[in-house]
Amino acid sequence: MKWLVFKTLLHKEFLLEFRQRYAISGIVLYVFSMVFVVYIASVRVQPPVWNILFWLIMLFVSINAVVKSFVQESGSRQLYYYQVANPVVLLLTKIIYNTLLLLVISALAFGTYSIVAGNPVFDYPLFALVLLLGSFGFSITFTFTASIAAKANNSATLMAILSFPIIIPILLTLMRLSNIALRVIQDTSYQRDIINLLAIDAILLTLTFVLFPYIWRD
Amino acid sequence: MWWKITSVLLLVYTFTLGMLVPLRPGILTVSPESGLTRQSTVLTISGYNAHFTQGEGQTRVWLTYDDENAILAHRVKALSDTQLEAEFQLPANLPKGEATMVLNCIVDNPADGTSVLPNAFQLKLDSTTMQEYDPTWKAHPVEKLNVKKGFTYPYRNVIYETIRNTYFHVPMWFVLLFLLLASATYSVIYLLNPKPEYDSKASAYAETGLLFGLLGLVTGMLWAHYAWGKAWSNDIKQITTAVALLIYMAYFILRSSFDEPEKGARLSAVYNIFAFATLIPLLYVVPRMFASLHPGATGSPAFGGQDLDNTMRAVFYPAIIGWTLLGFWMTSLRIRAKRIEDKLGGLD
Repeated sequence: MKWLVFKTLLHKEFLLEFRQRYAISGIVLYVFSMVFVVYIASVRVQPPVWNILFWLIMLFVSINAVVKSFVQESGSRQLYYYQVANPVVLLLTKIIYNTLLLLVISALAFGTYSIVAGNPVFDYPLFALVLLLGSFGFSITFTFTASIAAKANNSATLMAILSFPIIIPILLTLMRLSNIALRVIQDTSYQRDIINLLAIDAILLTLTFVLFPYIWRD
Repeated sequence: MWWKITSVLLLVYTFTLGMLVPLRPGILTVSPESGLTRQSTVLTISGYNAHFTQGEGQTRVWLTYDDENAILAHRVKALSDTQLEAEFQLPANLPKGEATMVLNCIVDNPADGTSVLPNAFQLKLDSTTMQEYDPTWKAHPVEKLNVKKGFTYPYRNVIYETIRNTYFHVPMWFVLLFLLLASATYSVIYLLNPKPEYDSKASAYAETGLLFGLLGLVTGMLWAHYAWGKAWSNDIKQITTAVALLIYMAYFILRSSFDEPEKGARLSAVYNIFAFATLIPLLYVVPRMFASLHPGATGSPAFGGQDLDNTMRAVFYPAIIGWTLLGFWMTSLRIRAKRIEDKLGGLD
């Protein structure tokens, strides 16, 4: 039963995205514009700066991609989900869907950014892992803050001020790992950082599942 | 009631002892700062809180290379309590055959105990010809050191008198953690049992926690101004702390952006718990991954064992308890003020 609900809800997320194509096209265009603005602002980019700018692009794009997950559906439809689905299952589908969405977006951002600003990546497997872990961490945190912000009055501003400070531990770790993948810093014991990142993700994920029913209930 | 009195007593104790107990004698400078091998050189040593005239005749001065290699001054004269003249016959070579080496200076007498100035004197080889190992290096090892009795704080180069800030800057972070933990706990209690008083307690604890965070940041910046040369040097802990304060400011904004108080209280409680969970990696995990100017950086963000000696512990631990009790006292007053505000608001 739960599995069926889960599958249906996940399918619904994709269907919704497919039907409202302006949302996804908007995000794609947002990535392109952001990359070009950053590129015009700093034409010659050294690897350390490349890394910082890349993660800034990712941060802004991810926030904008995730913020709609709770705002786009109307109150009455939310009420319907509340009756048919378990909040934890609903949240899980949102997090999985957003992780996949952010993965696609990060691949896209990496592609366009490396075309215009060069590609200083040395260690591709590590960089890919960083992108995966980044998408996952961003997805958990931003889905959670989006669910809170959606209930408040000025959700756009609130989304930013709630998300930016709490994403910092994840963002700093990601930037450090990606600096290692770019060989900006040498560190052979980066496994410890990956474990730290996974631990932070695990704590946040658990808390999100425990706390979401309280956000959801209205 | 008793804990409020305890808090006041402990803080009076902290302020009195923290401010009045003198530092142990130490060495401020050694001049000249360099010399050539085989020279005879007279070093002028200026001491801090020292009593060189009292130890006249018993003062010994060494320039040391490591545990085994040291040269003893053959003539020591106290010019005043804080000025000492020591004459050295510098050996013919350096112990490991280097061309240049930085030596530490050790002054020892019964009145002041032992003081050390690391990297005090640079010794250069006077010629490039290889020399036999000079036995003078092992002739007078550093031994039979005197220990200064009495209640004093350690003398440390770079921080000097600002070592007293340990009793004010460091406890702030302990109090911050306790208060924010209390705040998160009340948020959990509120979610389990939604009574408005728990929500107002959670918010009051977060407010005082934020205040102590600001105080910790300010005392830290004052300290950094003296020890690191500038108040803000983008040290990783300064940054993560500023971010931690931003999280709690966001919490207060979130609290005020709901029309229905019950909904606002519930969602803020959820955010508060989440914020506390990100605060721990922010303050205790992330700083370990980056280089920091803080003592015990890279590895442990807290104190190392040798940073705190027993006299400092005797003030440091009471200071933590005193400040913590003060934090909880301030919060209890804030909670009462909020209750009165709510009652007055209800009358309107």
